[in-house]
Amino acid sequence: MATARRRSPGLRKAFPYLLLAPAMLYLLAITLYPGLFAIYQSLFVVKFVNWTWTGLGNYRLILQDREFWAALGNTAIIGGISLALQTLIALTLAYFAYRDPLIRGWRIVFLMPMLFMPSAVAFIWKLAFNDGRVISDLLMGLGLVEGNVDWIGSIWLARLTLIVADVWQWTPFLFIIFVAGLQGQDQEIEEAARLDGASWPKIFWNISLPMLRPIMVVAVTLRGIDITTMFTNVFVMTQGAPGGATETMSYFIYRQGFRAFNFGYASAASVLMLILTIVIAQTVVKRAFRSGKS
Amino acid sequence: MASIRLQNIAKRYGAFVGVQNMSLDIADEEFLVLLGPSGCGKTTTMRMIAGLEDPSDGQIIIGGEVVNDIDARDRDVAMVFQGYALYPNMSVYENIRFPLRMRGIPGAEHDARIRQAAEMVELGSFLDRKPGALSGGQRQRAALARAVVRQPQVFLMDEPLSNLDAKLRQSMRVQIKHMQRQLKVTTVYVTHDQIEAMTLADRIVIMNRGAIQQVGTPDQIYSDPANSFVAGFIGSPPMNLIEGSARDGRFLAPGVSVPCPGTVTGKVTLGVRPEDCRVAGEHVQGQVYGVEPTGDVTYLTVLAGAKKIEVKAARDYRAEIDTAVGITFDPARLYFFGEDGQRIREGA
Amino acid sequence: MAARRKSRGESRVLRYLVLGSWALVCLLPILWFLSIGFRPRTEVITPRPIYWPTFSLDAWNLLVSDWPIALYLRNSVLAVTGSVIIDLILAIPAAYALARYDFRGREDIGFYILSTRMMAPAIVAVPIFFLFRQMGLLDTIWALMLIYAAINLSLVTWIIRSYMLDIPKELEDAARTDGASDLRILWEIIIPACRPGIITAAVIAAIFAINEFLFTLLIASTANAYTMSVALANFTGGSDGIIYNAIALVSFLAFVPILILVILVQKHLSRGLTMGAVKG
Repeated sequence: MATARRRSPGLRKAFPYLLLAPAMLYLLAITLYPGLFAIYQSLFVVKFVNWTWTGLGNYRLILQDREFWAALGNTAIIGGISLALQTLIALTLAYFAYRDPLIRGWRIVFLMPMLFMPSAVAFIWKLAFNDGRVISDLLMGLGLVEGNVDWIGSIWLARLTLIVADVWQWTPFLFIIFVAGLQGQDQEIEEAARLDGASWPKIFWNISLPMLRPIMVVAVTLRGIDITTMFTNVFVMTQGAPGGATETMSYFIYRQGFRAFNFGYASAASVLMLILTIVIAQTVVKRAFRSGKS
Repeated sequence: MASIRLQNIAKRYGAFVGVQNMSLDIADEEFLVLLGPSGCGKTTTMRMIAGLEDPSDGQIIIGGEVVNDIDARDRDVAMVFQGYALYPNMSVYENIRFPLRMRGIPGAEHDARIRQAAEMVELGSFLDRKPGALSGGQRQRAALARAVVRQPQVFLMDEPLSNLDAKLRQSMRVQIKHMQRQLKVTTVYVTHDQIEAMTLADRIVIMNRGAIQQVGTPDQIYSDPANSFVAGFIGSPPMNLIEGSARDGRFLAPGVSVPCPGTVTGKVTLGVRPEDCRVAGEHVQGQVYGVEPTGDVTYLTVLAGAKKIEVKAARDYRAEIDTAVGITFDPARLYFFGEDGQRIREGA
Repeated sequence: MAARRKSRGESRVLRYLVLGSWALVCLLPILWFLSIGFRPRTEVITPRPIYWPTFSLDAWNLLVSDWPIALYLRNSVLAVTGSVIIDLILAIPAAYALARYDFRGREDIGFYILSTRMMAPAIVAVPIFFLFRQMGLLDTIWALMLIYAAINLSLVTWIIRSYMLDIPKELEDAARTDGASDLRILWEIIIPACRPGIITAAVIAAIFAINEFLFTLLIASTANAYTMSVALANFTGGSDGIIYNAIALVSFLAFVPILILVILVQKHLSRGLTMGAVKG
């Protein structure tokens, strides 16, 4: 062993950091730099190439801006209702489907809405609700309404269209995860409960569902995070109408930045949204992923 | 070919001590077995020799050279793992070739050495298969071939037979011992199975809770145990350990009265192997608890007081449960252990 | 007590009623939209919706002649493939470090990487726009590639990490005693052993990249960089309004490859989507 390498403890210790370095640098470049830039830019009023210092002026304006708070509220309302709905539906479907012999078929069919590009889905429902009036037609046929429904005309109708589009497309996401979670549960426990005389709904409610909880938390958290970034549907279907009732945070930032060209203002909004994201990540996500994985 | 010396080795994990202060000399070409229950530190010790773990204290010397700072890659030690650890994406041929490539051995030599190693373990016709397509025994032999092909200084084997069924285990035992003699390589073998230890080892190191209990040849371990742990660990069925007290040359326990050397006094434990017991006699008075005929021998369990004593009886011995029975011990084969578990030996 | 008839699961009627209804909810809009793609423009938007349209390849002809659909397709493919390759190169070593090595800050670094998945695109939209404009990368496929890679990096890293954790440690010990260096172990042993994970990560990243809308919208302004996702929003013929039948057709063009990719990894889907948290 005369030619054996004496390992240097330094290199040994540094190795994992070296492995991580390229990825970390890349991520930092894409988060740190833009983050700092956004903070910087938010301190200015930007009109084309003119940057005028305004300190915390943008922030003062934003926090008084009715539209900002509306966007925040819309995101919460539309996102919250949507998330609750798709969780409920996915859970129900999973309950019925996970033991069914046809589960493979169900899975493929239920998965399909998720496989369309989000922009495509937005157009599907834009056509169905607004431009093509199919939904109105069906409702008329059922005798529920008379005449055409103006889906963008009323606040809650417009929100409804967004909710429908999101639920239709993303329920499968929760569905497959729930099914996977349920299928992974120990069948013997369920059989023991059956022998003890419990009915299927009782078994599900008292045994399967509690066991599914950690998985549910992870899945719903992930989907919840994504919902708060809702943009595409708003862009295609409503553009925030009527009167900003369907404008989400992402659309607000987009509009301020790329329609009104108030870049400083948009940056301030971005910074605020970033702070919100960090807070949510630290509290909710950390806990969700702690419980969801080892 | 190399000797191994462990000098005051210790391994700690935080507050937990995996291996206590341990020193051991392993001779060149020796087949040494580390034997003990799970958690006793035998695998940890072997991994320190391999370089997969660093000792908290002490030095590891292989072939006269201190290897503490030398990476596992370069220690010229080959290891057979309990789960075989064959590379799943490579064929058996490539698996065996891997160490040759890593060591920079010239490509021209590869084929001959691989086939030679495969022949030695009788795996010649399976070289093209992937590990997934092999049976447990074949995988085991493939792992052996991979270790052998390198012609290393030291073989390390971590319970290589524990995942095999009994019959396969027996034939592999013979094969491993034969191979080791042929190749003349220093071998350290870890197991919890005392039969493997007895049949394979030149010397056995019995460990418990991170400390060496005794080092010796299989004969020595068997007939001259250093403490009650060793005595109770080796032997199947295990040695009877009867707690009692001795005074004036007599050992007494419920149902038991046995003459003992004068040097033995106070609270002691009497040890006697089932095969050194004979039915009928005065040393033990008790009742038959169980009779287990096995064909070539019958195991009799006697209840004396609260203690069950195993006796190896003649193959045609039969008795009804709860009948009274006596046992005689072979006086030349009695072992006495003090309160601390250590063996009380007659004065030299 | 009246004995109940044996069945696994409650009444089949209820079950198929519920599942069947949702299946219709899923399929009907899809089928209807498909029909939109194959009808003449005049039958798309009408005072009362037409449910039995006449078959027409209008949309197809339109796509082939007026719109550089092949170009959009190419852009999508290039940007997506490129970004996935970048991701794999960066993520595999990172995943290995997180999975196998014990070092200070591992949890924090891991969490940081995880948190980038949580970031809304809108947050960095404006700065990224300025950055790329400054670098002259606006309206290029390179910009898209870099963005998609950044968005998916954490996902890919965590998925692969999850699969690496499953590899028995013994394998690495064996390779080390055989004389392999750490990099060798990674390349020859680890990567082949977690191939399903790598494929799953790549597929999911590809799908998310194909779907990406916000950044692509901001960065791409001409056919140079339009991808399928954003091209849809451009099928507005000015005074003609939105050309829905073309949109429908393109949607299905994108749908098919995605469907194929998903079928490929469907066994690993729940594990991939939750970045390893839920093992299907």
